[in-house]
Amino acid sequence: MTGADDGAAGAARAVAAARSPGRPTRGRRQHQLLRIRGGISLPWRIGLGVVGVAVLFAAWAITSQILDSATSFLVPSPAATWDAFVRLWQDGTLGDDLIASVRRVVIGYAISVAIGVVIGIAIGSFASAEAYFEPQIGFLRYIPATALTPLLLLWLGIDESPKITLIVLGTVFYNIVMVADVARSVPRELINAAATLGAGRWATLRRVIVPHSIPGIIDVTRINLAAAWLMLVVAELLAAQEGLAFRIVRAQRFRAIDTMFALLIVFGVIGLVSDVALRQLRTFVARWARP
Amino acid sequence: MTAIAGPEPLARPSKLVVDGVAKTFRSGGRPVDALADVAMTVDAGELVCLLGASGCGKSTLLNIIAGLDQPTAGAVLVDGELVVGPGADRGVVFQQYSLFPWLSVRRNIGFGLELAGVPRATRQARVEELLGIMHLAEHADRLPRELSGGMRQRVAIARALAPEPDVLLLDEPFAALDAQTRRRMQDFLLTVWKRTGCTIVMVTHDVEEAIYVSGRIYVMTPRPGRISEVVDVPFGDRSSAVLRDPRFLDLRDELSELVSSRTTAHRFAFHVEG
Repeated sequence: MTGADDGAAGAARAVAAARSPGRPTRGRRQHQLLRIRGGISLPWRIGLGVVGVAVLFAAWAITSQILDSATSFLVPSPAATWDAFVRLWQDGTLGDDLIASVRRVVIGYAISVAIGVVIGIAIGSFASAEAYFEPQIGFLRYIPATALTPLLLLWLGIDESPKITLIVLGTVFYNIVMVADVARSVPRELINAAATLGAGRWATLRRVIVPHSIPGIIDVTRINLAAAWLMLVVAELLAAQEGLAFRIVRAQRFRAIDTMFALLIVFGVIGLVSDVALRQLRTFVARWARP
Repeated sequence: MTAIAGPEPLARPSKLVVDGVAKTFRSGGRPVDALADVAMTVDAGELVCLLGASGCGKSTLLNIIAGLDQPTAGAVLVDGELVVGPGADRGVVFQQYSLFPWLSVRRNIGFGLELAGVPRATRQARVEELLGIMHLAEHADRLPRELSGGMRQRVAIARALAPEPDVLLLDEPFAALDAQTRRRMQDFLLTVWKRTGCTIVMVTHDVEEAIYVSGRIYVMTPRPGRISEVVDVPFGDRSSAVLRDPRFLDLRDELSELVSSRTTAHRFAFHVEG
């Protein structure tokens, strides 16, 4: 043991000795990938994402290869799927179907979000609105919207309105309940501060509750968008003349599995793109709420 | 008294009158007296403190004066008029987290003026003036989250002062700040008070802060929260020299005794009851 009095040189020697292999250590060393809530570097982040997609793709390619030799065309190869995609794109059906489906979702979901924001903010801000709406929404929310499809077809016919209505009914209650939670989470201190600066009911809603809720509302919109697509598929499976899900049903009749795969991938890509777009929107409009 | 009876108010009414204010909460079905028969009178341009340990009801009293909370009995008058709710005539600075995080410093300060419909030019001039007084000019376009704790509270004070309130209410505004910043903010508050001449009621649990800043101290004791002592502070101009004045030290010891002994006595009583 070196004495305590030989200062910096002594400390350096002690560190060197402690670093030598085999010496006992204190604490638990953790790798960055396995640390709970630890951040990871950008190359790792991108690399892991790419590997994840590649594994999925490889699994698909191998499965189709094996099944192809054993049975017949139950799982199309990536190449066959790509060909189907190009075919759909070139004869124009994909474009038309895409427009028809996206149009239904955009209209239906916009109505749903509008209703969700208005009623949700009312519930989150006024105990009276909460008392009025909560029991009925608690009841309606548990009626599966898909079970209403036959009824909607009877009432509204087979054109666009039952499809849009189904998208609204299938998402609006989630939107209301989740926006209400967002509005409820506005800190009381901010509402009180606004009141002591002379804000009345409207000014508080418009200048405090709404701006504070915007990032949360965008998150709610992003999460429930998946349910809107689910409702679209149900509607198009039952009655439609065009649309992505309608095209899948058609493909079934001709056992065109490659077409079905191509359309499923289109669904996935639409979801991915809208998710990224809404995340970007959130960062853009609410710089203050960035983590 | 809940009603203002009688004819015309006499001569000039006091700036702020708290009369017989009581507040009872329900906690688990049992009534808890947060405040009982609180009375105080503050004249225009005074700076007074409500001093007490946590749980003595001082913040409840401030909220009642602000109109954010309603008294169970009694009344609050500002310039002889009954307080029935919050309003821009009583500016409030909260302990923390009260700035609008999506608005820049400039727009936070201008918030009350925008609500009052003050024309843009007047508003901008007033905000610029406050930015200058508060030494915030170079941070005017930053968001609250980009500021230090002391800066945030300066913004909060500026925002409360912007609509030129009759009374400025401060609820432990410096409690979350470190010791040096707190002392600087106290000097700063005194400067602002002298420049604007506004009436200030400040809640604190810090005995030295109460003596250093205010002209009169209302000592509050808990359960039920009431004013147990009113102490006039015998200093004129404040500076760090005051901190070494023997009278300051005596007063500090005396008040510390008042604040802490009551709490201990109360705590003991609570144990016996429980």
